[in-house]
Amino acid sequence: MMQEFLEASTTLHNRHVTAWKKDGKKVVGYTCSYVPDEIFHSAGILPFRIRGFGAAETTIGDTYFGPFICSLPKCMLQLAGEGKFNFLDGAIITPGCDSMRRLDECWRKAGSDVEGVLPPFFFHYGVPHKYADYTIKWFTEETRRLIAAVEAHFKVKITSADLQQSIKIYNKSRTLLDRFEELRTLDAPPFSGEEALAVILAGTTMPRETYNALLAKFIARAEKSPGIQNRVRLMLVGSANDDVGLVRVIEGEKAIVVADNLCFGSRFYSDQVAEEGDPVFELSKRYLGHNDCPRMYGDYRRRLDILARKVEKAKIDGVILQNIRFCDLHGSENGLFERDLEAKGVPCMRLEREYGPLVETGRMKMRVDAFIERIQQRRAVA
Amino acid sequence: MRNETREYNFDWMLWNLFAAASRLKSGTPKEYRVMLKYIPYFNRIVDTLLETGEPGQKFLEVCSQYMENLAFAKEKGKKTAVTTFCFSPSIFYAMDIMPICLEILTVMMTFIYKRGTAEFLDYCNEIGFTETSCSSQRGTVGAYLAGIGTDVDMFITDTPGVCDTNANAFSFAAAYLNKPFFQLDMPPDLTGGRSNEYHREDFKALIRFLEEQTGKRLDPERLKENLRELAKQDELIAALEDLARMVPNPLPISYNLMVYASRFLFAGMPECTGVLESMLKTARENATKNISGLSGGVEKLRAFFCYIDHYAQNMQFWQMLDGNGICYQGNILSHFWAPNAPYVSEYHQEEAAYHIDTTDIDAMINSLGIINSRMPMIKSIRGPYDAPHMWLEDTLSLAKMYSADLIVYNGTPGCRNTWGMVKLLARDTEKAGYPTHIMYADAFDARVQSWEATEERFMEFLKVRRLL
Repeated sequence: MMQEFLEASTTLHNRHVTAWKKDGKKVVGYTCSYVPDEIFHSAGILPFRIRGFGAAETTIGDTYFGPFICSLPKCMLQLAGEGKFNFLDGAIITPGCDSMRRLDECWRKAGSDVEGVLPPFFFHYGVPHKYADYTIKWFTEETRRLIAAVEAHFKVKITSADLQQSIKIYNKSRTLLDRFEELRTLDAPPFSGEEALAVILAGTTMPRETYNALLAKFIARAEKSPGIQNRVRLMLVGSANDDVGLVRVIEGEKAIVVADNLCFGSRFYSDQVAEEGDPVFELSKRYLGHNDCPRMYGDYRRRLDILARKVEKAKIDGVILQNIRFCDLHGSENGLFERDLEAKGVPCMRLEREYGPLVETGRMKMRVDAFIERIQQRRAVA
Repeated sequence: MRNETREYNFDWMLWNLFAAASRLKSGTPKEYRVMLKYIPYFNRIVDTLLETGEPGQKFLEVCSQYMENLAFAKEKGKKTAVTTFCFSPSIFYAMDIMPICLEILTVMMTFIYKRGTAEFLDYCNEIGFTETSCSSQRGTVGAYLAGIGTDVDMFITDTPGVCDTNANAFSFAAAYLNKPFFQLDMPPDLTGGRSNEYHREDFKALIRFLEEQTGKRLDPERLKENLRELAKQDELIAALEDLARMVPNPLPISYNLMVYASRFLFAGMPECTGVLESMLKTARENATKNISGLSGGVEKLRAFFCYIDHYAQNMQFWQMLDGNGICYQGNILSHFWAPNAPYVSEYHQEEAAYHIDTTDIDAMINSLGIINSRMPMIKSIRGPYDAPHMWLEDTLSLAKMYSADLIVYNGTPGCRNTWGMVKLLARDTEKAGYPTHIMYADAFDARVQSWEATEERFMEFLKVRRLL
C-alpha cells in the first residue's frame, strides 16, 4: 500500500491519472492549496495539484521568468514546456505568491510559442490576502466565477447538492488525515516523515474515493505497527515541498519528521468545510480562512501559536525552517519563528535551498546532521 | 551595524542634513561653492537640484520640512505610521498621523550617504529578514527595527495583491516590533463593481483601524480640505505631463522625481502644491522659449522608464542621461491616473481614472479607496501584465504619448512581481517597435551591481541598437 502512495506521489502521470484519462474523463491542475478541490470533484473532473517534481533543468522556465524568481514555478513551467502536463485539460493559477502568480502569464506565453503546452482551460483564480467579511464575500463571488467557467468549458452542471456531496467526501478525507496526524505524533510513530509526505501528496493526484479507501486501510495497518523509536523528532516548516526525497535526506538514520506546517503537508488538509448552508460560501470561507500561509499578511502571531501547539503536541526536539531561495514570505517568517521558538527553548535551524532535484544534498545533510548533534548534546546535558 | 550609526537618531540626522542643504543657497555664490566641498558625496545631488532654481530649492525645503515633522512628531503628540510610497497619505494627514514613507527615506539616504542604506539593509538580514527582499523598504525599515528612529505606532501598507516583498516588509516589521498592522488588499482587477466595492469596504476598515489606534474620529472637514488641495495638485501635475509631450521636452530630468516624491510625501498638503507650482512656472517658461530641459540643450533621445529610477550612487543615473542628451520621459511612479491626466483622456477609458468627490463622507471615502487603488505600481502590476489597464497597456500608451525612442526597465532584484513578467513585457514592447533595455541593477543598492557596470551596459545597449 505504501508503494501505491509512493508511486502516486513521485510520478506525475501516475496510474490513477492514466486510468482516469482512459475512461475519457478530465483532469484539471491547480497550483495552490487555496483552490477548492470539491468544485472539480463535483463536476466529475479529477483535481490534480501541479508540481515541479522531476524537473532536471529550468531552461524553459528561465526563458520566460526573470532570474530572481523561486525555482518552484520555474520547474512547473519547465515540465509544462516539456509536455509533462499534457494530460491536463485545464489549469488554475492563483496568486499564492508573486512568483507563482506570474506562472499565469509565463505559461500562457509559452503556450503561444509552442502548441500544446497550454491546457485548453486556463483560469486565473484571485485569492484575497486577508480574512474579513468583505473578503469572504469577494472570494465567494470569485469561486462562483470559477464554477461558471468550469461549467461553460467542460459543459457540466455543478449543483449545490453535488457540491455538498463532494464536501462530505473531502471531509471524510480530512477526518482520516486528522487521525493520520495523531498517529504521526505518537511517541513511536508508525511511519516515517518521508512516508507521511507520500501519503499526503498522493491525495492530490488520485481520485478522492480511491484515496479515502487506501488511507483508511493504511491507518488501520499503522495503528497496529510497533512504531519507530529513538529518533530525534523534527518538525519541517516553510516553503512548499512536494519532494519526499528532501524529507528522506533530512531524516537520514537519526531523525524522524513527525510534524510539519507545509503547504503540501498538514496545512493542506486541516479544518473541515461546513456541510450545511450554501456550499460555495462554506467552501470559500474554509479555503480562505484555514490556510496558515504567510501570504495572509499580519497574522504572524496566530501562525506562531499553531507551531507552538504542534511542537508541544508532537514532542518536537527541533524545528527545521526551510525556504526556497527568493521565497521572502517563508524566509522572513522563518526568521521570526526562529527568534520566538528559540526563546521558548525549541532548537531551530534555518535552511535556504533551491527547489528541484536535490542538487544540494551534501550541504543540506551536513547542516541537518550538525543540527541533530546539537539537539543530542542538549539532551545529554539535560 | 556600526556603533557610531546607532549613536545618532536616524530621523534627526536626515532632517539636519536636508535642512542644511535647503539653506545652502542663502549665502553668496562663492560661499555656496565652498560649502559644496564639505559635502563631497551629497553635493552632486544638491547642486543638480539647486541648479533648477526655485523648484529645486523648494523641493529641498519640502524634504527638510517632512523630516522635521517626523523628527518632532512624538513631541507634538502625533501617532506615527510606517507606510509605503504607493499609499496616498491623505488619510493620515486628515487624521493627524505622521506617515513615515519608507522608500522616500531610502532614496534620501542614497542621496546623502556614500554608504547609502547598506548598514540598515544588512541589519534587517541580521535579525532574520531575507536578503532577497526588496531594498527599497529594507533600506529604511532597518533603522526602525534597530530602534534608532522615532517610535513607530503602526505599520500600514496597501501592496498585498501587488507586491509581496513590499507587503512582507511591513508584515515582518510589525511582527518583529509587535506593533499593529493593517493592509489594504488589492484584487487583480482594477475596475468593475466587485473591485470598487472591495476597495471601498477595505478603506472603511482602514478608517476604523486608524480611529481605534488614534482614539480620534475622522474629521470630514479636514479630509475635504486635503482632497480639494489634492485636486489642485492633480491639475498641476496634468499640466506638467502635458508639457512633457513637447519636443524638446522642457522639463529637466530631476522634475520627474520631484513630482512624485512631493506627492508621496505631501499629497493634499500645501507643501506639495508649492513645489508643483514652481516647477510648472519654470517648465512653461522653457516651453515658451522652446528650450530643452536637458543641460546641454539638445535632445537626442527620449527614454520612457517602465518601472522605477536608479537612485543609488548619488543619482549618477541622472547625469548619465543628461550627459548623453537622453530626455527622461517619466516612469511608472509619476503617473497617478487623475481624470484630467493627459494619458487618461488619450488612451484610457474613464473607468481607469479616479475622481475626487467631496460631497459627503461616504463619497470622500469612496474617492480615497479609488485614489489608492490607482497609485503608481498599485494600478499597473496587480493583475496579469497584459490585462486591460495593466503594465503592458500603460507602458505602450505612455511610451507612445511621450514619443519615446526606447523603454527601460529598472527595479530591484527583490521585485519578485515584475521579474516574473518583465521578459514577457520586453518581448511585447520590442514587438511594438520600442527597443527595450532590462537593467539588472538594484535601484537602491549599488553593491548588487556597480554603477559603472550599470552605465556600461546601458551605453552598450544604446550602441548595439544604434540609438546613439
